[in-house]
Amino acid sequence: MIRTEELLLNVGPQHPSTHGVLRVVVKLDGEIITHVEPVIGYLHRGTEKLAESLNYTQIIPYTDRMDYLSAMTNNYVLCYAVEKMMGIEVPERAEFLRLIVMELQRIASHLVWWGTYLLDIGALSPFLFAFNDRERILQLFNELCGARLTYNYMRVGGVKWDAPEGWIDKVKAFVKDMKSRLDEYHNLVSGNEIFLARVKGIGAYDAETAIQYGLSGANLRCTGVKWDLRKNEPYCIYDRFDFDIPVGQNGDCYDRYYVRTEEIRQSLRILEQALEQFPPEGETMGKVPRAIRPPAGEVYVRIESPRGEIGCYIVSKGKAEPYRLKFRRPSFVNLQILPKLLVGESMTNLVTILGGIDIVLGEVDC
Amino acid sequence: MIGMMKGLGVTLKTLGTRKSTYKYPDEPIVMPDRFRGIQHFDPDKCIVCFQCARICPTQCITMSGKPNPDPEKKGRVIDTYDINFEICILCDLCTEVCPTEAIVMTNNFELAAYSRDELFKDRVWLQENNTNVRKDNNNIGAPKGGAK
Amino acid sequence: MSEEQKQNGAGPAEGETKAEAAPEGAKAQVPPAKTEGAPQSGEAPQAPPQPAEAPQQPAAPQPGVEPKQTSGAAPQPAAETQTAAGASQPAAQQPAAAEKRPLTDEEKEARRQAALAARAAKLAAQGGAAAGAAAGAAAGGRAAARGAAAAGGEGSEEPPKPSPNQPKLDRAVQLLKELVAEDAVEEASLNPFNDDMPTLVIRGEHWPKAAETLRDHPEFGFRYLRNVAGVDHETHMEVVYHLLNMDSGDTYCVKVRTNRDNPSVPSVVSVWKTADWQEREIYDLLGIAFPGHPDLRRIMLPDDWVGHPLRKDYVPLDPEV
Repeated sequence: MIRTEELLLNVGPQHPSTHGVLRVVVKLDGEIITHVEPVIGYLHRGTEKLAESLNYTQIIPYTDRMDYLSAMTNNYVLCYAVEKMMGIEVPERAEFLRLIVMELQRIASHLVWWGTYLLDIGALSPFLFAFNDRERILQLFNELCGARLTYNYMRVGGVKWDAPEGWIDKVKAFVKDMKSRLDEYHNLVSGNEIFLARVKGIGAYDAETAIQYGLSGANLRCTGVKWDLRKNEPYCIYDRFDFDIPVGQNGDCYDRYYVRTEEIRQSLRILEQALEQFPPEGETMGKVPRAIRPPAGEVYVRIESPRGEIGCYIVSKGKAEPYRLKFRRPSFVNLQILPKLLVGESMTNLVTILGGIDIVLGEVDC
Repeated sequence: MIGMMKGLGVTLKTLGTRKSTYKYPDEPIVMPDRFRGIQHFDPDKCIVCFQCARICPTQCITMSGKPNPDPEKKGRVIDTYDINFEICILCDLCTEVCPTEAIVMTNNFELAAYSRDELFKDRVWLQENNTNVRKDNNNIGAPKGGAK
Repeated sequence: MSEEQKQNGAGPAEGETKAEAAPEGAKAQVPPAKTEGAPQSGEAPQAPPQPAEAPQQPAAPQPGVEPKQTSGAAPQPAAETQTAAGASQPAAQQPAAAEKRPLTDEEKEARRQAALAARAAKLAAQGGAAAGAAAGAAAGGRAAARGAAAAGGEGSEEPPKPSPNQPKLDRAVQLLKELVAEDAVEEASLNPFNDDMPTLVIRGEHWPKAAETLRDHPEFGFRYLRNVAGVDHETHMEVVYHLLNMDSGDTYCVKVRTNRDNPSVPSVVSVWKTADWQEREIYDLLGIAFPGHPDLRRIMLPDDWVGHPLRKDYVPLDPEV
């Protein structure tokens, strides 16, 4: 008779596949997972507490560092919240710049996800392809605002810089190029039988579970719920462009993959339209009082970041600093479903499912 | 099998494309003009208004002024100006609010040091760091070209 | 010199008022800077100068501000209306801001006037609603007085168009009164900053039942809990929930207040599973206990941490950390 014991496996904070410092304490019975407990907080930097002593313009660099793979959307959610409270109108050209930059950021973030997800599964070359294209996007951002990852680009009332000479043409060239490369990537991966065997049917959940757990973004749309904040609660100038919302059916890892890669395609579509309609001249900053002091009150705004619904809840007492600033981070909420998905699964699927949720630890811990 | 064949086709096609890697550090990387590197400080332009120290999100700038040694001129001149580079996040807010463009960013980013002491940049170092100074500053606090 | 260095070490808020005072000592325009800088610290004795400065302001925001100042007699609401009044008088801050920069006053003045005009127009349009909602949504727990002021404030000024959400809000209050308890809803208002989002304050003991009603009742149908946030007002604490009905797209905001000494709000993990980690985070950072939560432990901070950092009176046990 073989004696079996339960094994406690620590998928530790330092691990190449946990996408950051995430610790998952897993109890295994052979190869079947019986109990999962994610432990987070290794990257907690106290942004919300710090924000209570900084004025809004100073908080913007901190928002960059929360979800560092999609910093533009973080910048935007803070500026949007303050502009909503103060009733500031943002000029047209600034809105276009913001939209272009946010969609480019969405493509960059999904490329990182795509590359690292496939790397986790075992395919080594898509990672390099994805980062090659992402490098082009980062180069564009470098020319626009001087940094490759932590942009500090948006300001309350507009954007900091106008696009330099020739930048719009470079973006147009990139968009055209990226379309054909996306088809190549589909050729490379999406039909691959090994890949399909690894992701189809894994980590499935239904729409009711997704809504109960408050999932958002691709995690929600893979179950068939057509909910995208760019369409359902339009912000910025998204209502001027037409694009589709890719929706999955089964709620498994393959559907999440499909939804995200299709989102890249739709982002390219939005970018094409935005670049065509780009106003040739205009202000980049609206009329903002010198001291940004929103009136006393509170506001909760939410936008669609590449990971889901990022929200910013500000309680202001009329001062230059927020009284309470809370970010509703999508990765933090999405990660809650991990125990439910993993219990009963084979251990080999742990990394596949964890990667499919698309978390960024900077956001989970804030 | 078809899927894998298609994938192999893409891989083989990529064999013939141009390399996209840089041979850094043998070839230096040229950053675009707007790149936010370590700052350059010009003490003659500074009017000691403390805007940069006040806006810094991490409070890494410490400065002090002294009365102008020339008894006829009013105002103050800068005495000490330090940037604690361990905390500086290169966010560029200090250059944005400086009314005289006394502090500007350069494109220098190769700042690794062997000891933490070298990371505390003082006024002399910042003044001497005048290579690759950024031209496009988009400074909201100053009129074009810096006030006099 | 060392004093200025010390100011730079202080936070930007204090640095702002102090630095305003110190360099301005050398300049001529000291008095306006000092008196207008003072309300920012919310000192109650400054109440007399505020109405005196009122004639300088565009007339519209003032009627909205006055009823607030009269309805709350205690010093704390006065301090809150101070900051709200201070916020709605941007002109008071702007000359002080102008004097910080010794150059280019004229073009700044022109730019500021344009911004002021735009803001004054917006404030005039929202004057009544802003006063009502600011009194209802952001103030402390003087429920009855504030509720009356909220209802009165919304309608008493140049009557703004009744919001389309007002009937929804009334129906929600009515339903909750019938189905949960007569006194379940403490306050109800519309948040003008957030596109008139209905904001309800529900009593803690009725919250679990109200949560189930909000999720299951066909007229509510809030199956998606968007956001759970904890806020530490100095007199009390509150937990703010934002609910979403995906079919109709409505978002409501629900607040549950609790006292500061032993804060506790019933957990709604059984109603919306997503509240699990969010409540743990609030417990960790603010110290609000959630009875009924299956596993209430610290989530962000190490398990042996002492204290709750997001509280306003948090002093780190070990300042080095």
